[in-house]
Amino acid sequence: MIGKLEIIKLERYELKSGEKLEVFEFVSVGPKGRIVKLVQFTPTNYKDLYNLGFGDKNIETGEINDTVISNNGDSRKVLATVVATLYAFMERHKDAMIYATGSTKSRTRPYRMGIAKYIDEVIDDFEIYGEILDGWELFKKDKEYEAFLVKQKN
Amino acid sequence: MMSVKEINTVQKPIVLIDKSLDFFNGKVLFPEKLSKANEMLKNIGLPKINESSEIENAHK
Repeated sequence: MIGKLEIIKLERYELKSGEKLEVFEFVSVGPKGRIVKLVQFTPTNYKDLYNLGFGDKNIETGEINDTVISNNGDSRKVLATVVATLYAFMERHKDAMIYATGSTKSRTRPYRMGIAKYIDEVIDDFEIYGEILDGWELFKKDKEYEAFLVKQKN
Repeated sequence: MMSVKEINTVQKPIVLIDKSLDFFNGKVLFPEKLSKANEMLKNIGLPKINESSEIENAHK
């Protein structure tokens, strides 16, 4: 198991953000080259509830794509960087809850795997819920979910 | 011009403030995801936060 000190040291990409800390950008570097990634926390119809969007930015067209699979050999580092955006966003938005899901079932699976992998390290900081058929339950490592909801512990 | 903003010290990241990213403020970059989120939340609502006193153990 990865220890707390190890996740603190976990390698991640340098993050840039606008002043509102709602849009973050970083650059994935790997065999496929440099891929600009964007993370956006967008307000939903519910107070203090934001949707996490994550995708690649085409630097030539400016187009954002959240369905492409980069396969740039750095998924662990990318995941750690996305987790870092959560910390940064919630530092500014203390009461925020974050909703996250993949665009398809297969794209939701990496979210679950990532949460399962690091939950022991972030459990002191976040409450994490998994969406089941008719509601929510506290995230369990060995269970599939449709979506996830994260809330910073007070 | 960028300035360095230290959000926190240990676990929380250092974020470079890049005002060019403010261009995206108010724009929805992932509209399908947002729409899906609103739809699902309309149907199932929100979890009862802090309802359980056993949160520390419930994730296992």
